[in-house]
Amino acid sequence: MRLELGSFPVREIAFGRHTRYDGGRLEVNREAALAAVMRDPRIATAALEIARPGESVRIWPVRDVIEPRVKVEGPGVCYPGICGREVATVGQGRTHRLAGMGVVEVSSVNWHDAGGDFVETYLDMSGHYGAMYPYRNLHNLCLVVEPDPGLGEESRNYAVHGAALAVSDHVAAAVRGLTAPEYEIFVLDPVSSALPRVVYIWGVHSPQAMSGSSTAFCTATYGLTQLTPPWLLHPNEILDGALTGPYRTAFAMSWTVANNPLMLDLCRRHGKDWSFLGVIVLRTEWTTQTEKQLVGNQTAKLAAMLGAQGAVVTWDAGGNEFIEVMRAIQACERSGIKTVFMTSEDDATDGAPTMLEPLPEADAIVSTGFFKNATLRVPAAPAVERVIGLADKAVAGDRRTGVGKGRDELVATTGPLPPPWRYDDHYGFGTLSCIE
Amino acid sequence: MISAIYNFALTTGANRVVRGARIEHVCGDPSLGPEKDHAYGMRIVTTALEALTTPVASPTLFDPLAPGPAREAVHAS
Repeated sequence: MRLELGSFPVREIAFGRHTRYDGGRLEVNREAALAAVMRDPRIATAALEIARPGESVRIWPVRDVIEPRVKVEGPGVCYPGICGREVATVGQGRTHRLAGMGVVEVSSVNWHDAGGDFVETYLDMSGHYGAMYPYRNLHNLCLVVEPDPGLGEESRNYAVHGAALAVSDHVAAAVRGLTAPEYEIFVLDPVSSALPRVVYIWGVHSPQAMSGSSTAFCTATYGLTQLTPPWLLHPNEILDGALTGPYRTAFAMSWTVANNPLMLDLCRRHGKDWSFLGVIVLRTEWTTQTEKQLVGNQTAKLAAMLGAQGAVVTWDAGGNEFIEVMRAIQACERSGIKTVFMTSEDDATDGAPTMLEPLPEADAIVSTGFFKNATLRVPAAPAVERVIGLADKAVAGDRRTGVGKGRDELVATTGPLPPPWRYDDHYGFGTLSCIE
Repeated sequence: MISAIYNFALTTGANRVVRGARIEHVCGDPSLGPEKDHAYGMRIVTTALEALTTPVASPTLFDPLAPGPAREAVHAS
């Protein structure tokens, strides 16, 4: 499987008469982009705004950030399966991406009414809070979108995400026929047998158990969000969007999944420092001990059948999902596969361990800092001049904030605002780590 | 402790752990219908009461689904 990934760096976005890319400048025909959104009768209102790096701008509520990618050669479409898109296996041929920008999905639609998974992410384009996330350095095309309020929860979710994908497709189409100024080849050819063989075990949340629906909107593999046995994916499939966000943190967005620095490094150093065998996607939040143990066992078995000697492991959740991630690590270690686990840590209240279940087999751990913004002592984000999205934000006494139920104290989004409850840098975008 | 994730309860040191159904419904299973759900719940709670009166030396699992009226305690490894 060979993929040529052409990058078109975006250094400016402006609205204009045409949607076109020229020398780092993306011009967007706002009416044409919104017409693509409004083709879906489920959409009630939609507007586009631009947020530039360094501006005093806050975006709220942020459901997802998508990097525009388009398939130029080879089977399938980018971001396959989700919202009814085709499911041809991707990862081959040529894909073009608009680098340095995001399409931001801004809407009051919450994920689902169970499990406390309310939308709580807001993004700043300047200040200390903005600097904690990669999006502050992107040129962001923000789609503020609301669906028909009479629709069911799941339909509202897919409607607004489909709308954001429509904008992403619209702008990505502008570079389909152009020659990329930068490109990179991704291929996992067989390499020297002397190099260690490494697999990436990537735990991603499934909303099925908590929502009670096998089709609830969330992190998806080819559009599927349900609890499934582990998937073996080629990293090129993920570069084409076969694994997508969002989940509930700013680091579990489609943009961060497609730009995961750990996976990119595994690809780029293949044949030099190791032999990268592929990605095992482990769907998490199974709800019995047996299920958790089973998917842990099967994940390790897949890794062993691939011939892995080592595994790097990440996850994108907090709480009970930890069990199957830990059981996968334990099963790998017991079958002779050395593991390195990259994770955030909980606070050590009353001397409790910073890991929910610190099994002895997990003896090589890279910390990306604390899970909660409160533990990191992140101060309130400062007041801003302009808000994209909703003018009000609900803030609760425990500093949990979001669009969900029970968050009844409304404050002006302009701020100052407490940071969201969760930080949780799943893939190592930042430089935070543990206290030595 | 009644827990669907009973191994976790054992490794973190709970003395008496009763195997619950699922995280979503620890003390029963609504898919069984009202009568069987109630019976299953009673079995879990009865097992928990038996566990309370059973001396243990280390974290110990009590399984309501184990056969027989006198359920054997399974010790954590």
